[in-house]
Amino acid sequence: MPAALTLKIKQPPELFSTGVDDMDMMLGGGIPRGSISEIAGALSTGKTTFALSTIAAITQSGAACAWVDVNDALSPESAAAANIVLKRLLWLRMSAERRQRGTDKPWSRLEQALRATDLLLQAGGFAAIVLDMSDVLPQHAMRIPLSTWYRYRLAAEQARTALLLLTQTPCANSCAALALRCEPADVRLFSRDGETALFEGQRYALVRERNRNEGSPFQQKKPCTRAEWPAETLWSRAR
Amino acid sequence: MYASRVACGNTVVEGTVMYAVIHIPNFAAQVAAKQRPELRKSAFVLVEGEPPAEVVITANKAARSSGVEAGMTGLQAATIPGVIIMRRAPEDEASALKVLHTIACMFSPRMEYVEHPPGTYALDIDGMGRLFGDETQLAEELRQRMTEAGFLANAAVAQNFDAAVCLAQGKTGVSVVPPGCEAEALRDLPLHVLNPSAEHTEMFCSWGVRTCGQLATLSETDLISRIGQAGKRLHLLARGAWPHLMFPLEPSFEESLRERMELDFPVEMLEPLLFLLARMTDTLLERVRARALAIAILRVVLHLDGGKQHEQLVRPALPLGDKATLLKLLQLDLETHPPNAAILRLELHAHSAAPYRIQHGLFLPQAPEPGRLEVLLARLRKLLGEERVGSVELKDDHRPNAFRMVAFAPPPPKKSEPSSLSVATALRVCRPPQTVGVTLVGNVPVRVLWEGQRYTVREIAGPWHVSGQWWSEANWCREEWDVRL
Repeated sequence: MPAALTLKIKQPPELFSTGVDDMDMMLGGGIPRGSISEIAGALSTGKTTFALSTIAAITQSGAACAWVDVNDALSPESAAAANIVLKRLLWLRMSAERRQRGTDKPWSRLEQALRATDLLLQAGGFAAIVLDMSDVLPQHAMRIPLSTWYRYRLAAEQARTALLLLTQTPCANSCAALALRCEPADVRLFSRDGETALFEGQRYALVRERNRNEGSPFQQKKPCTRAEWPAETLWSRAR
Repeated sequence: MYASRVACGNTVVEGTVMYAVIHIPNFAAQVAAKQRPELRKSAFVLVEGEPPAEVVITANKAARSSGVEAGMTGLQAATIPGVIIMRRAPEDEASALKVLHTIACMFSPRMEYVEHPPGTYALDIDGMGRLFGDETQLAEELRQRMTEAGFLANAAVAQNFDAAVCLAQGKTGVSVVPPGCEAEALRDLPLHVLNPSAEHTEMFCSWGVRTCGQLATLSETDLISRIGQAGKRLHLLARGAWPHLMFPLEPSFEESLRERMELDFPVEMLEPLLFLLARMTDTLLERVRARALAIAILRVVLHLDGGKQHEQLVRPALPLGDKATLLKLLQLDLETHPPNAAILRLELHAHSAAPYRIQHGLFLPQAPEPGRLEVLLARLRKLLGEERVGSVELKDDHRPNAFRMVAFAPPPPKKSEPSSLSVATALRVCRPPQTVGVTLVGNVPVRVLWEGQRYTVREIAGPWHVSGQWWSEANWCREEWDVRL
């Protein structure tokens, strides 16, 4: 039989733990290395929390990561609270202050971010790269050509890097090996007397929309497609 | 002038390494007398230390004959009539040493500064015969030059380095020792030329050993059994057989890592400049590689049209020996910070350091390769700006934005213990702060306008009164609300 027609044995991908047991169980171990994982969802649905938790688990394992921050919105205090080893995190902040001049469009910041991600993927050596487009409007994110995501998929595969996309709407389409949708799950009401702290009892939900690395479709026990997880703020931890 | 050739059966053998040593006896006192010639005819001492606990360092011959000795206190020396007390001037001694150095350079390119006794230089005079004649003529010429510079000097030539030093210290004038006759030449010299410790000096004095010849006749084994390994050194020195490896003074290696180039016409584009920089970097790399080193810092100085200078520093996180990487870093740095005028002349300075060597493990976590990481960071800095690339370091501060950006240098891969704490809610920051429109009904927010979008307040808590003036409890000037949109 010609070699071209021989069936390739697909190796199960290496997985990075997300730092949340329920999520790891839903994803079959964590997010895959060497491919694109897309986490989409509206504002305040836990995308950044999820990404920080994953990066924290990876940096604690001794590997280096990068955070491409399109809107310069990462809070270093939150990153430290998520137990990220800050020395192992390369933070790339797009020029947000240029926005004041009126000459800078969101698209140019996005372009900078895409070029920076390209450079990071080509250089290699980073276990995970987060492309944070959470504040980019869907109409801007959808303008990114599909060829960019194809290029990223190949580069991530060669560099053995997990590329995490944080977006409001899915835009990488079939290039993403793992597509997740974030939803708000449970919200505890504010109390007027100050008894309940702000953001206390916050819960987020994550729905798995596609996982290309899933096991056999004929397997008996299928993992659930939705997982809920709690998150708490520093001030509620102190309580 | 006193010149002596020690009678010996052997003659100077052609081709053997000979050392000429020039020594200025009582160096500090001679320097002081050179600075103030009126002191030559009077007795003076040099003192050092904080008054009143000053100690006599040295004295001239007239002062010594009056009874002054080194080690006396300044007050004791002051009680002796006719003795002038002066403070030692280290800066005068340093400038005098420069004069000695210059004169010594005229006689040999290879020389060593002998720290003890002060004011002593040793020269390797191998092959200098065609310029200065035989050893005696060279030593006499050397001494003559010192006299012209205002110093009374002793010169000695011997095959053994330390024998020449001892002879210059112990014999006035010029002494030339043929090879193999060092013990004979040192025989009558006093023991202090060997620079023994105070304890050993006292011991030798009690034994009745006063000259090098007397020490050389003692049995080496017996001497070592009594005073230890120091005895072996002193015995070999007294016989003129102590081996010495010369460490010649050399120009600083770092100063040699410079390249300059004048351009025929002003250059404004960076691309043609890179060809020249590549050649200069190559030359510098060859020099550092010859010493098994690498380049830690590269400094480019561009002399611009109009007399201004443009200086850039490329400092890789680890010393590099790779031309392509260094050149790429130079290019990216110059493209990020371009000069504002045409370039007339360029200089490239390098600082060397030991090259980095890392043993990678098979099972260690993934980490960026240092050389590639440097180029990547330089590219990213060019793309985003200097302050927008790096790791974050938190400051011990409660104010907002209490962090600073530091250069990204991940520590070696090492696993740390995972935290058992729950997942922390991540907050996002608006940089710079944005304007938000708020509609109030009855002094309570009901609608929020942000980035052209209108949000209705679904849930609200507050108001929380915040004081803008912590020193005035009455002035609660700010009201803050927690809202869910």
